[in-house]
Amino acid sequence: MYEPRIVCFFCKWCTYAGADLAGTSRKQYPPNGVVVRVNCSGRIDPQHVLWAFREGADGVLIGGCHPGDCHYQDGNYKTMRRVTFLKRMLSDMGIEPERLRLEWISAAEGEKLVHVMSDFVDEVKSLGALELGLTGEKGNGGAAKAPAKKKPAVKAKAAGKKTTAKKTGKKAKPAARKAR
Amino acid sequence: MKIPYYPGCTLHERALDFDVSARECAKTLGVELEELPIWTCCGAVFPLVTDSVMEILAPVRNLAYASREGDKLVTLCSFCYHVLKRANRTIRTDPEKAEKANLFLRADTEAREEIESYTREDYTGQVEVIHFLEMLRDLVGYEAVAKKVRRKLKDLRVAPYYGCMLLRPKKEMEFDDPEQPSIFEEFLETLGCDVVDFPMKTECCGGFQIVSDEDLAIACSRNVVSSAIKRGADVIVTTCPLCRYNLDKKQEEMAKEVRGFRKIPVIYFTQLLGIALGIDGEHIDFTDNYVDPRPVLAEKSLL
Amino acid sequence: MEERIGVFVCHCGSNIAGVVDVKRVAEELGKYPGVAHSTDYTYMCSDPGQNLVKDAIKEHNLTGVIVAACSPTLHEATFRRAGRVAGVNPYQVEIANIREHCSWVHQGEKEAATEKAIKIIKTMVEKARLDEALDPISVPMTHKALVVGAGIAGIQAALDIANAGHEVVLVEKSPSVGGHMAQLSETFPTLDCSQCIMTPKMVEVSQHPRINLMTYSEIDDVAGFVGNFKVKIRKKAAYVDRDACTGCGVCVEKCPVKTESEFDEGLAMRKAIYTPFPQAVPNKPVLDPEHCTYFLKDGKCGICQKVCPVGCVDYEQKDEIIEEEVGAIVVATGYDLYPIENMGEYGGGKYADVITGLQFERMLSASGPTEGEVRRPSDGKEPKEIVFLTCCGSRDPEAHMPYCSKVCCMYLTKHAMLYKHKVHDGQAYVFYMDVRTAGKGYEEFYTRAAEEDDVLYIRGKVSKIYEEDGKVMVWGVDTLTGKKVEIAADMAVLGLATVPNVAAKKLANKLKIHTDEWGFLAEAHPKLRPVESLAPGFYLAGAAQGPKDIPEAVAQASGAASKVAHLFAEEEYHREPIIAWIDEDTCAGCRVCISVCPYDAAEFDEENGIAKIQEAICEGCGACIAACPSASAQQRNLTDEQVYKMVSAALEG
Repeated sequence: MYEPRIVCFFCKWCTYAGADLAGTSRKQYPPNGVVVRVNCSGRIDPQHVLWAFREGADGVLIGGCHPGDCHYQDGNYKTMRRVTFLKRMLSDMGIEPERLRLEWISAAEGEKLVHVMSDFVDEVKSLGALELGLTGEKGNGGAAKAPAKKKPAVKAKAAGKKTTAKKTGKKAKPAARKAR
Repeated sequence: MKIPYYPGCTLHERALDFDVSARECAKTLGVELEELPIWTCCGAVFPLVTDSVMEILAPVRNLAYASREGDKLVTLCSFCYHVLKRANRTIRTDPEKAEKANLFLRADTEAREEIESYTREDYTGQVEVIHFLEMLRDLVGYEAVAKKVRRKLKDLRVAPYYGCMLLRPKKEMEFDDPEQPSIFEEFLETLGCDVVDFPMKTECCGGFQIVSDEDLAIACSRNVVSSAIKRGADVIVTTCPLCRYNLDKKQEEMAKEVRGFRKIPVIYFTQLLGIALGIDGEHIDFTDNYVDPRPVLAEKSLL
Repeated sequence: MEERIGVFVCHCGSNIAGVVDVKRVAEELGKYPGVAHSTDYTYMCSDPGQNLVKDAIKEHNLTGVIVAACSPTLHEATFRRAGRVAGVNPYQVEIANIREHCSWVHQGEKEAATEKAIKIIKTMVEKARLDEALDPISVPMTHKALVVGAGIAGIQAALDIANAGHEVVLVEKSPSVGGHMAQLSETFPTLDCSQCIMTPKMVEVSQHPRINLMTYSEIDDVAGFVGNFKVKIRKKAAYVDRDACTGCGVCVEKCPVKTESEFDEGLAMRKAIYTPFPQAVPNKPVLDPEHCTYFLKDGKCGICQKVCPVGCVDYEQKDEIIEEEVGAIVVATGYDLYPIENMGEYGGGKYADVITGLQFERMLSASGPTEGEVRRPSDGKEPKEIVFLTCCGSRDPEAHMPYCSKVCCMYLTKHAMLYKHKVHDGQAYVFYMDVRTAGKGYEEFYTRAAEEDDVLYIRGKVSKIYEEDGKVMVWGVDTLTGKKVEIAADMAVLGLATVPNVAAKKLANKLKIHTDEWGFLAEAHPKLRPVESLAPGFYLAGAAQGPKDIPEAVAQASGAASKVAHLFAEEEYHREPIIAWIDEDTCAGCRVCISVCPYDAAEFDEENGIAKIQEAICEGCGACIAACPSASAQQRNLTDEQVYKMVSAALEG
């Protein structure tokens, strides 16, 4: 049977600690998600999410502190706005926006984490496996390739290097860097 | 200076004395009040429902008419001013309601081709609703008014009555400080009056309650009237036909209830302005007043 | 160099091993790229377990360590220490959480849990492969503190820091220390006299060998960061050489100009050259050029200069800028009352007999303008009925401030009580929304006022106050009976909202520390870091952070002082190095990072046209990294590249 693969980006102050609490309370939830710990949900670049889908994730769960509780003042508000836009972008790409979920889970909400995890796994299950129709290797782990849309940027880097115009070089390089 | 003018129903019928005196004063001050070619009732009450646009259509329609005539709209009646200003603010601040209201305006256009030119454009709150007092202060200028004063009113003790509709709610009306307003006093000082400050100048006159609970409304009005009398006023001036009605006509009942009740005339501020500007008596009509101001005015040699 | 990662899978007794097939996990990881050594053990955190890690580091020449065990909140520090001892940089030791996030939550699914544990560890191996060796950031530190504001909070903070052995510069903008507390008559709930408990502290702060007290001075500019602030202090021209002045007071006595006394809240007059009150510290006058005839009329007068026996009046004196270097800054700028003029419905500022709580304090004070007698300001008569109004401008989101000012219930209760003690046949009314008495002994105090001193409490608000026939007419409502209440009183005392000091908001901007929407200083965390600002090196004390009574202000000041002492306990300032950095080669200088940084750690380098991160300030939240359009902003040991690789590893198989 199809078991969805889920990447969870959890902020270390709230949701990661909430997941710890779920553990110490021995609450049970499906094992589909693997957690990537970040300092703040505001650290999550939309590209991280796109990359996860590119690499074979069927769902991405972002967990942050409740509004007003951010350890860094307002990182979670930044996330909230980014996720709203990203969901629109996902649907344009043919990825159901429900595959990306943002939840506020505090360090005291082990129960909520369990509930969210179970519910999200069910939802992604009902959506079925994500078929992106990508050619080339998918889910090849360490030997990660750049997201497809970044490839032109790599070319731009080469072009930029040839010219002496500093600006061009500057514009091109960062994209390449991210694609690395 | 030409300014679009919205008289409203009351000034069109019952409060003609207010309308006539205002037009004549404006003319003397070099302002031409141009009555909107088409207007309807403003609705008279600003609706407090939040989930419907129907109730503000009347004022918005009038504002849309006004938008074809200029960027300002002058009005006199406190109720009209209140409703038009708040409806205007709703259009400016609530895009959803603005959009819905404009859907109705467009339907108007289609149904009534003869006024097509009036409502073809969407109304977005571009008109600024101003009260006649604001016009005097900001457009004509109190100094200019003072220069045109022919009769000094320095012996006349005048109590300015604001009522509620001009001032509240503060954040929406932005007319003056609702607790300690001063625009009226400044106006009266311009005319050279002896201004009487009385604590009830911003209390309610009873308003529409006069229809359903007359005793309550009279109690409210009596509170205002007696406060002004106690402070030694010769006359109360007001900006609102309903306030005028409650404060003036109901003195008949007040006199019945309170022994030794001394009556005080209640007149429109434009009538006082007219006297100061030396306007011909036919435009300053006091025949509708229950308490006749003429004796006191005559006593002060102002007639 | 090829990474050589060691993987250490902990059984945690049966906590992990009971669910996860630890042998298989260790075996699988042994085959993973970059892993040089992989093993398992019953209790990795035990001494033998740690030794096993240390030995393996040496034996296999490991460059990175993954301990697959419990949550990093428990033993990350343990294994980082072990790593350091054995020669691996602590920041290259990572924890894979396979207990809380795996074995404990998937107890019935052994196979799936084992697979998941393998994935979790692989993500951490991917992270560790790119981890850099880092050192905590060390910043040199000046062991001297600046305290801004010398009210009770500032005084307490300065004394505590100085008594902990550190130098303090205490800056106060008015001519004397003491703040609002010095104005108070008696203090609730004990009714001890404010001056009596305050004056010794004022003297102590002025004489403390480690405190440099600068009154009549303001902060002009602050540059630098935690441990290394450079402060410019403007010592305002007092037109008196206050060092030479003996405080004899002849100049004050002879000065012919009178103006309203700020200290007496306008209820009494002071001279143009003045000390604000008799117990002022320092007890030396300043000259107020806005009222002085010499300044207003081109040098006419000059009496004070003529009479000064030591010749210290100097009309030519100029403001002086004094530079100080400090390591920490305590902001204790205090509060003001909400302007009484804003209470138009009560005739605030219009009627003489409608006064503020602070004016009533001055009236009650034995050293005040009426020497403690209660008198109507309008005619000096003893008022027989006084109405006290709580929540004037507080808890009124429509027209004024939405928050509770916290102290008004108590001080108006005190006022009513003291009034009754002075005017036995008088009647005191208190209009209230709720009587909030959350403090030790406060409820008892309130009960005493109501029961023993017959203060009449009316639950409801006052809608209007106006003058009529020499009385102050108060219109209110008693919401318990539903009746309108009309009181012809002699006086009304308004419990006005507490607002931040007017100068405090400007100062906060100068210091670049955050305030809330009302201008109160924002604490770093509302529960757990209440005395620190988000900006490192700034500490908060007293009512500048929010409405407070005296014990709370003092407690917070001591808290702030202890935080400063904590900071100063180290020679240098150390911080976690998991912070942001900017790639100078790729940064295009768009400044997005600067706009999103909540700490103002990102700043623009004008010379090179790029952004840069101030290491001493960055907290490592990563906001700039997510926002950077060119990926030039990166986080140490959590770069985008690391995130991508971790994600890929998490999805493998």
